[in-house]
Amino acid sequence: MSILRMHVAPARATAWILSWALFAGGICAYFTVARQRHLDNPDDRVTPTLAQMAQAFADAALKAPGDEASGEPGQSLGARIANSMLWKDTKATGRRFLISVALLLPAVLLGLHMAMFPYIGSFFLRFVQFFDKIVALSLLPILFIAFGIDELAKIMLIVVGVTPTIILDTFNLSKSVPREQIVKGFTLGAGDLRVAYQVVLKQIWPRVLNSIRLNLKAVMLFLFAGEMIASTDGLAYRIALLRRHMGMDTIIPYVLWVALLLFLVDVGMSRLNRWLHPWFVEAS
Amino acid sequence: MIRIENVHVDYGRSPDRKKILNGIDAEIRAGEFVSIVGQTGCGKSTLLRLILGEEKPTQGRVLVDGMERSQPDRQCGYVPQKYSLFPDKSALSNVTFGPEVTTFRGPWAWLSPRYHRQMRAICDEALAYLQHTGLSEVDSRKYPHQLSGGMQQRVAIAQTLVMKPSIVLMDEAFSALDPGTRAAMQRLIKRLWRESGATFIFVTHNTREAVCLGTRVIGLAKTSGGGASIALDLRMDHIDFDSAENDVQGAVNRIEARAAQPPEYALL
Repeated sequence: MSILRMHVAPARATAWILSWALFAGGICAYFTVARQRHLDNPDDRVTPTLAQMAQAFADAALKAPGDEASGEPGQSLGARIANSMLWKDTKATGRRFLISVALLLPAVLLGLHMAMFPYIGSFFLRFVQFFDKIVALSLLPILFIAFGIDELAKIMLIVVGVTPTIILDTFNLSKSVPREQIVKGFTLGAGDLRVAYQVVLKQIWPRVLNSIRLNLKAVMLFLFAGEMIASTDGLAYRIALLRRHMGMDTIIPYVLWVALLLFLVDVGMSRLNRWLHPWFVEAS
Repeated sequence: MIRIENVHVDYGRSPDRKKILNGIDAEIRAGEFVSIVGQTGCGKSTLLRLILGEEKPTQGRVLVDGMERSQPDRQCGYVPQKYSLFPDKSALSNVTFGPEVTTFRGPWAWLSPRYHRQMRAICDEALAYLQHTGLSEVDSRKYPHQLSGGMQQRVAIAQTLVMKPSIVLMDEAFSALDPGTRAAMQRLIKRLWRESGATFIFVTHNTREAVCLGTRVIGLAKTSGGGASIALDLRMDHIDFDSAENDVQGAVNRIEARAAQPPEYALL
């Protein structure tokens, strides 16, 4: 059978069809089940139809939270979107997300210093390795007790959950730079910090960006956990709130919206990496 | 001048302690071209790292101009077999890196009005070095992965020589090159040595290369007590690439015969 042969590759068109087949299958399966359930019970809320989801998403994108009318009559589309539930939730989650990603930059610098300067490495490495093994979500109650239920606790959850991974990743990437390159830097007159920043950091930077990109889902996971438990706005807060009312017609579009946003950030970072570091993409 | 005094290097802890170098004594005068030959794993690169200051001997000392070195610095240029170029920089930027970091201090130097003028002068000099080693202006804009192995080593040599080091250490620098490129690089390096007046120490396991390049050949071989020591130390001023084939082959045979004996008996 050719699917179990390593040297037989599908044609371009077949590969394209195969890559979309699971999406198509999933969508067909969902709408078949939804249709069946709606035939059995027209008020079914578990599997909303496409029209119901489109209507709920349009409401979320154009109406303020708790507003039953479709916005004030004289309001422009831009103003309606700006006041909408979806935009406010996206803005709240996005702000927390950006703060969390920004906090990963000090983690990168710490990982670099740990790898380059043995005293700093000896001081931090064991602790970070231990910290990395702690299940961040198990710390959630402690964080809420220690930092309250406002933004700081949610940000701290992400710091605890993702930062050790980024520190250790950067540490390993820095260590993997060939020793010859570091020696070369010194023989060309660079000092310790210049070797660390201009030789090592510049070389590992595209890989570090990749590592951050691959950890974005973990950032979102911890952010959603925090928002679901203690928040008054945000995409995860809304999903948790709608769950109580079985608002699947809004939850499903929200989940897809989050996936789309994360996908766009992922593609954006990947493109940015390629644009900033053409040498890395070509060499690898 | 480089003085290597009774140097021993051991790795690991007992009982797995491994002896690498066993009582090396040598003196290298300024301006010499010394080839170090020996079989793979006999400690040639370790000896180079000791001179570089990258490693410290377990016993004995290495003095460069009367001083023990604590870490590599610009006094010694270094051309390794691979990873000699920074992959994130173009060939020209690789060569300008050294002059740039030694001319400008701090990350905000580019804000200075003198920066661009000085940088232009640095680029001109770097380009001249690249052209001297046989690269074109077009090549200078390429990244290392876009250059062939021979071109990469030419850039690495320009990168090293632009710093005008008093000592140049080359560790199997031409091992990965094809025979034609290797021969061209050998002639280039000998010419650059004559022009620069620096001390060159060239590690290789190719005896013919050592004989044709070096004004002196030091051979390392493993001793019966473990670790390597100097098995031969010959002056080779009279042999060059243009010497008669018989003379070159004769010298190669002599060195290989000596190196085959235990250093205790072969030492001159």
